Amino acid sequence: MALSVEAIKGLVKQNAVHKSVYTDQEIFDLEMERIFGKIWLYVAHESQLRNPGDFVRTRMGTQDYVVTRDEQGQINVLQNRCTHRGATLCNSDRGHSSRLVCGYHQWMFDMSGKLRGLPHRESYPASFDLDAEQNSLKRAPRVASYKGFIFASLSETGPSLEEFLGPMRVAIDNLINRSPTGELELCDTAFKLEYKANWKMHHENANDTIHPGVVHSSSVMAARQHRGEPSSFDFGQTQEMLQGNNFSKKEWEAIELVALPGGHSYMDGIYRSKLLARKESDPIRDKYEAMLHEVHGKERTDEILNLDRFNNLIYPNISINAQYHQLRMVHPVAPDRTLVVSQCFRLVGAPDEIYHRAVRFLTTLSSPASMIYGDDAAIFERCNQGLTGSGDEAWIDMSRGMDIDRRLPDGGTISAATEAPIRSQFDAWLGYMTQGV
Amino acid sequence: MNDVIISSTVADATDAQLSAVTKFLYREAQLLDTGRYAEWLDLLADDAVYWIPAKPGQTDPKAVPSIIYENKDLLSMRISRLSDPRTYQTVPPPRTRRIVGNILIEKVDAQSDSLTVNSVAFVHEYRDERCRLFSALCTHVLRETDTGLKISSKRLDLIDCDSTHTAFMSLL
Repeated sequence: MALSVEAIKGLVKQNAVHKSVYTDQEIFDLEMERIFGKIWLYVAHESQLRNPGDFVRTRMGTQDYVVTRDEQGQINVLQNRCTHRGATLCNSDRGHSSRLVCGYHQWMFDMSGKLRGLPHRESYPASFDLDAEQNSLKRAPRVASYKGFIFASLSETGPSLEEFLGPMRVAIDNLINRSPTGELELCDTAFKLEYKANWKMHHENANDTIHPGVVHSSSVMAARQHRGEPSSFDFGQTQEMLQGNNFSKKEWEAIELVALPGGHSYMDGIYRSKLLARKESDPIRDKYEAMLHEVHGKERTDEILNLDRFNNLIYPNISINAQYHQLRMVHPVAPDRTLVVSQCFRLVGAPDEIYHRAVRFLTTLSSPASMIYGDDAAIFERCNQGLTGSGDEAWIDMSRGMDIDRRLPDGGTISAATEAPIRSQFDAWLGYMTQGV
Repeated sequence: MNDVIISSTVADATDAQLSAVTKFLYREAQLLDTGRYAEWLDLLADDAVYWIPAKPGQTDPKAVPSIIYENKDLLSMRISRLSDPRTYQTVPPPRTRRIVGNILIEKVDAQSDSLTVNSVAFVHEYRDERCRLFSALCTHVLRETDTGLKISSKRLDLIDCDSTHTAFMSLL
């Protein structure tokens, strides 16, 4: 029997959550049903699906899905499971095909998921209908694209994608505006990293400004004590990124945390301390900015490039870093297992070196051998270890800043150095887990 | 055969060269396994590049992300972090044992006094109650200098480079 609404409500207090939200299988299963099984999830980028027949494999919650562009040019989000015996149909990350053919008994589906043929048709009962819905691949009933970012929902009803994204649309708009052609291309190579802890820990960490100075102190120190001069090898980017986690108290307080309804959040003003900011002398950047001036004019270009929002978390499954053209998908695997997929975008038309910087950023932050991410993963795993085990009650604190959050006129809060993003995530979580049940 | 680029011919290297290269690679393995990272760094030429591609057969380290693509300078930061007790990934410290074998000199370039050497490395890592095996095809370009052989580049093609990983920090 599923947990009652009252029982779920009892797991979240204003200032703390019960540890079971991170460890309990039953709660995890309910999350898959009521959050990942209902609300909009980012599934693919249109640059991966330029032509009819293109497909890319993705996940919705713990389920394997494939996003296709069919002969009519429509985008479909289909479960990657043959309706005959359940085998996965698509076994590569992406590709091009006119049919999805099962490798078991050769059931054949078109790219819109319709069953088109199977061997030994004559031995099936007369009632067997190729066109019957149960024979087509299961599809996400709602698919929508916001400027090339494809989202899908496994629920027939709910808010529109634009409503769901709300102010987070700005992150996507800004990323696109940074491209001289307005076009983005998602890079082929993705880092796929698994950590042994709950998916929510990733999001709770993303817009937390206190942990970097602690968790990342070893990489901060390595960079600070480093004597070498930046060479053309990476123009000092790696060192700067490592040092970028060295916030002073004053800097923490200058970074505004915007926590929005729906669990979305971002950090505003992270570049005010000038780390990772534009260099005074930077011919590549000059060339790139000149391209943007052509398109937007100087004033608008400055507005676009100065929009200073870091780690734009679109709850519950992606984070966008528009300045460095990064995208991260977070897939729950089990209560204590999470898959993080990180990629970057090429701004079509921008100098190649701008893309090389995005690639360097991706490598430094999200590679399995990252000097930054490795510490985060280690701490998530320590949290998981600390929370595992039965027979005791524990409440996980999220009270920092509770009394200093300022309300935003259109909903949400703005504050500095607080845990407001975590509280907004649990607000949304509780809503999704208890409404319409 | 993978799409990792290996020439089909083996260079006409002398036994003395093969013996020197073998000793050098064993020595490198020993330094890495015993955590003598500063000494390991000394094996690298000043313009050395260390590369672990993220894609099989990867040829472009700039427009395609890599697991690691660093020069000696960046490696020195990586190493100083490895020795820092605040690095969570080193508490408790990982242990590694590696076997380097199948050593073949692929190319002898008399002009630059350099040798291209292929080898296979199995690096067995123990960390935090878990064991893990890294399998790599290594391509070293070694330069003969006045102070002995130096690494001018080292590339490790992991058999699972494009797979799902957990974070790691042991030097391969």
